[in-house]
Amino acid sequence: MSGFDNLNTDFYQSSYSVDDQNQGYAYGNTEDPYKQPYGQYDYSQPMAYASPGMMPQPQQPYTGQIFQPTPAYTPASSQSMYSSSFEDEPPLLEELGINFDHIWQKTLTVLHPMKVADGSIMNETDLAGPMVFCLAFGATLLLAGKIQFGYVYGISAIGCLGMYCLLNLMSMTGVSFGCASSVLGYCLLPMILLSSFGVLFSLQGMMGIVITALVIGWCSFSASKIFISALEMEGQQLLVAYPCALLYGVFALISVF
Amino acid sequence: MRMRTTSTDSTEPSPLFEDTSAGPGAAGYGRGQDKGPAGYPAQTLLSDPMSNLAMAYGSSLASQGKEMVDKNLDRFIPISKLKYYFAVDTIYVGKKLGLLVFPYMHENWEVSYQQDTPVAPRFDINAPDLYIPVMGFITYVLVAGLALGTQNRFTPESLGMQASSALVWLIIEVLATLLSLYLITVNTDLTTIDLVAFSGYKYVGMIVGVVAGLLFGRTGYYLSLLWCCVSIFVFMIRTLRLKILSEAAAEGVLVRGAKNQLRMYLTMSIAAAQPIFMYWLTFHLVR
Repeated sequence: MSGFDNLNTDFYQSSYSVDDQNQGYAYGNTEDPYKQPYGQYDYSQPMAYASPGMMPQPQQPYTGQIFQPTPAYTPASSQSMYSSSFEDEPPLLEELGINFDHIWQKTLTVLHPMKVADGSIMNETDLAGPMVFCLAFGATLLLAGKIQFGYVYGISAIGCLGMYCLLNLMSMTGVSFGCASSVLGYCLLPMILLSSFGVLFSLQGMMGIVITALVIGWCSFSASKIFISALEMEGQQLLVAYPCALLYGVFALISVF
Repeated sequence: MRMRTTSTDSTEPSPLFEDTSAGPGAAGYGRGQDKGPAGYPAQTLLSDPMSNLAMAYGSSLASQGKEMVDKNLDRFIPISKLKYYFAVDTIYVGKKLGLLVFPYMHENWEVSYQQDTPVAPRFDINAPDLYIPVMGFITYVLVAGLALGTQNRFTPESLGMQASSALVWLIIEVLATLLSLYLITVNTDLTTIDLVAFSGYKYVGMIVGVVAGLLFGRTGYYLSLLWCCVSIFVFMIRTLRLKILSEAAAEGVLVRGAKNQLRMYLTMSIAAAQPIFMYWLTFHLVR
């Protein structure tokens, strides 16, 4: 138990955007106004929601440098500050934080389950890709005649919340909700293949069960691989893969039945 | 109206009017390392004092709200203690599952300590954890849904009902155990979370029983449930004996006395409650 007492779990990391703005606002005045709200968290309880040691580190609010890996709690989009002149404004995709190259890289990581994942790719919380995948999943279900967007949405919300709580409890470093849901959304890609396969052929025979089991295993293996490498959890890959498998199993149930 | 002048506006001629067209006005704010002002005006966030104020107020509200939630959450659910119960790895889970199904060969049931605090479950197989109970509960709910589905009795509401009834029985069991521990005034270091963990270990046996029932029919269900009930009974007795009974009695020496007898009865009744719950919560799933 001694090793676990000094952890700083950043529970609400996604709201660091607020802190960036706060920091930016007070930046010109003195150092004190933005250090002061965080001074009171300087106790050794692991529930300190902002480690003071983290504050002086360069918090890079999202700027034009889209290819630079940013810390996990830096928002990837709309808090960018740019000059007012029209020529200096960055292109729209860059400002929105939708970086097709990174999306493609992450997709490839999911599609090659045997390839070792790079821990830093999940540093940007990117929900554009998962959104596309969820909609594609719903669309393939629609093609099969099942209008179940509501179930997909509800199950993914509950599943993401559950994985977020579990990963925060199991890992040394915390994980933000956006990061967890981003990873789970990306690993939904093989499930889309399964449901599009199910449009053409019925999945309820023995062959269908085998393919379904394979796809569930593929999804959860990729998701656990990315989580393990991003959160540096040793010896826990199967433990992370099991709840992912439960979640994707429920999605598979929707596709099959 | 600009709050602070920007020094990099070399392209603008001297304005006749105030430039109010600005959105975010800091040229290159935060570009690169923000180790210091370093020549660019990082202060010019917005050119409007009212929105500056609003933003500061909003962000302080948000941080206050967060702080309140954190404080209250920490009061009800001790997160750091919970983290201890999830510090598991795959080897531990594998061994523990094996122990739950076959506890007869294991000899040393003592929990090891390290300077007065119990060692993390990773390093000690006898320590309770919460990963297996939580996963067991969720798997039980899903398997129950599967079982109902194969009998064409499945509705999403029934899934919710299974989950809530299992949860309520768990809470009742933990409360009853706490009450009886209190009444018998046992000096033990069993915390509430420990009791939740121990009560949650029976879900493993339940899942095995229901899966066997799905695959092999009623006889499979009864046989596997019988095996798991006996195993969990032995497991609970051996684990709780060390925690509830006094030192001498735990080592097997027969110590007479009303107090120890009561504690022995308590241990046996907790252990005996497990098979009863296991049967109660699963028999309606297997037809």
